[in-house]
Amino acid sequence: MSLVYEARNLEQRYDGRTALARVSLEIERGEAVALTGPNGCGKSTLLRLLAFIERPFAGELIYHGDRTNPRREATLLLQDPYLLRASVFFNVTLGLRLRHCGKDLERIYDSCMRAVGFDDPGSFAARGPNALSGGERQRVALAARLALNPRVLLMDEPTSNVDAASARAIADAVSRYRREGLTVVCSTHDPALINALQAREIRLGRRWDEI
Amino acid sequence: MEYLINGWFGALALLADMDDATLSAIYATLLSTVYAMTAAFSLGLLPGFILGYYNFPGKRALRLVSDTLLAFPTVLIGLIVYAFITARGPLGDYELLFTLPGMAIGQAVLALPIVVSWTAQAVENLDPRCRETLLTLGANARQTALLTLWECRFAVGMVCVTAFGRVITEVGVAMMLGGNIRYSTRTMTTAIALETSKGDFSQGIALGLVLLLMAFMVNLALAFLRRRGARA
Amino acid sequence: MKVLSRPALLGLAAATLALSPLSAGAETLMMATTTSTQDSGLLEYLEPIFRKDTGMELKWVAVGTGQALKLGENCNADVLLVHAPAAEKAYVAAGHGIDRREVMYNDFVVVGPKNDPAKIAGKSTAEALKGIMTAKAGFVSRGDQSGTHKAEQKLWKDAGVNPEKDPKYFSAGQGMIATLNMAAEKKAYALTDRGTWITFAGQQGDKNPLTIIVEGDKALFNQYSVMTVNPARCPKVKKDLAKKFEDWWVSPATQKVIADYKLQGKQLFFPNAAGSK
Repeated sequence: MSLVYEARNLEQRYDGRTALARVSLEIERGEAVALTGPNGCGKSTLLRLLAFIERPFAGELIYHGDRTNPRREATLLLQDPYLLRASVFFNVTLGLRLRHCGKDLERIYDSCMRAVGFDDPGSFAARGPNALSGGERQRVALAARLALNPRVLLMDEPTSNVDAASARAIADAVSRYRREGLTVVCSTHDPALINALQAREIRLGRRWDEI
Repeated sequence: MEYLINGWFGALALLADMDDATLSAIYATLLSTVYAMTAAFSLGLLPGFILGYYNFPGKRALRLVSDTLLAFPTVLIGLIVYAFITARGPLGDYELLFTLPGMAIGQAVLALPIVVSWTAQAVENLDPRCRETLLTLGANARQTALLTLWECRFAVGMVCVTAFGRVITEVGVAMMLGGNIRYSTRTMTTAIALETSKGDFSQGIALGLVLLLMAFMVNLALAFLRRRGARA
Repeated sequence: MKVLSRPALLGLAAATLALSPLSAGAETLMMATTTSTQDSGLLEYLEPIFRKDTGMELKWVAVGTGQALKLGENCNADVLLVHAPAAEKAYVAAGHGIDRREVMYNDFVVVGPKNDPAKIAGKSTAEALKGIMTAKAGFVSRGDQSGTHKAEQKLWKDAGVNPEKDPKYFSAGQGMIATLNMAAEKKAYALTDRGTWITFAGQQGDKNPLTIIVEGDKALFNQYSVMTVNPARCPKVKKDLAKKFEDWWVSPATQKVIADYKLQGKQLFFPNAAGSK
């Protein structure tokens, strides 16, 4: 089995407060992992470390892949995601343009939006983020990640704040990509999602306060 | 009361006429304001963005300086710039005093702290998830900075409109550095000051109405940007 | 306010009245005048003498003659001290003012750059003004309808030149010192009253780029008058006090005091009230 992530004694602090305490784990390529555990145990923090948008305070995190720019291979869907003040089309294709892949944007937009359950992607293309419901925003944000064709998809509570239909569409979309080899790590308490992804559960304990 | 009522009627007649003096005051006002805004934005946008976006030692001190300059008395700006551009000052050879560009320098100094401080504020007020989102989509440092600025465009537009409103209604700097010269550096505000001192209320009221109209349009632009910023 | 009892309130009111400098009994006269009388220091010199002689308080606003006349017209002043004889006569004829009395004169001078680019030194005022325009040397005008501005406009008219649209004719719309500053900056000529000129030259010291080019011409004399705002139009005008005020100005003692006033060793105002010589 080839590993994607190896974490040893990973620790994170914000302003001296411990947010994640000494976590060690290994994640294999193509695997689905569900991070569970009580609130405040550091699930979101761990996901941000795995997405390389933060550096750990201590410990070691090894990513097996393009280490010079892992953020171009591992992408994170934030809890309550943010969409830029621009059209849905702009948001979904933004990551590709940041990589200077300006070709086939319409086709990729169309297929990713369909993958997350929009039957008529064209009618959403010009809308602004404030014209979307919470579930639609979550799915648009997911489409923007899928458009990148990532090797690792990280998600923070992707189904906790959305309607049932959106939650189902998200679980369907992610499990389909997973069958094609996508590595998925998500924090969730949603049994339906864990089940759909056939995810291995990693339970984080309550962090030790102020070591 | 009689003179006030006559003043109003006279003002309306003058506006219907749009004589040379009124038109040239409007023209001088707009031209110097555009000069000043261009200068203030080219000099202030980047420092403002840096102050709001990056964390570095001394950042808070710089913000404090810029915020303090927001309350800088305009006559003091006039005095300092005057000292620089007067014939005996260090920039005296350029003969800027009592010209439109000279006046625009003072107005740019007036607008600069507004641009710097409020741009910094706009960037700071931006949802922190914006930066994280850009990072998770694989943006590098330069792309993240540029897109963050782009994301603030409505707020920066409001900064622009606010600074414009401040400059266009200002009288002290315009009077001290422009000199209120007819057909040249006489702006609407200095003209109003002059007409009042001459006791010509009609002309003053006429110019005041034009100025009010401009302030109204500026506020309209502000309201529009605020709505756009909230919706999009 | 409920905290204060009624006697306490009365006491407070009484204390406020006692502290006010305008408490009942003080006779205060409001005068509208021109900047030249204030900027030359004459008013501050005369005010204590006036108080001692008449027991009245004199308050004044110093503005352009145009606005000073307007202030009277709008009943914002009791008396006027101004210097625009033609405008004053029209003012009296229109019923805005009464009892106009000439009290003193000073004179104007034409100042310009020391090298005199238009070569007008020693000429008559009319010739000098023509010379400035033909040489395109630049002239800064008050442009504020003040007495000085009106005098300047008359001088241009007498010279047969209309400078209004000339690009080298700068209409400043500001006070005398500001106008002189602008002339210094623009290396241009200007017309000024001698009092303000002496003050300006004193401020500038040796570095003054301007100097007197034309002076002593009869056309440059500048007559000052006092007037009372017409009480028939403005009932609040204190006409008895105003009468005392005017009598004081033309009295031989006051006329001598005016002649004695010197700025940096130079007499500024020449008393010429009728019958006072």
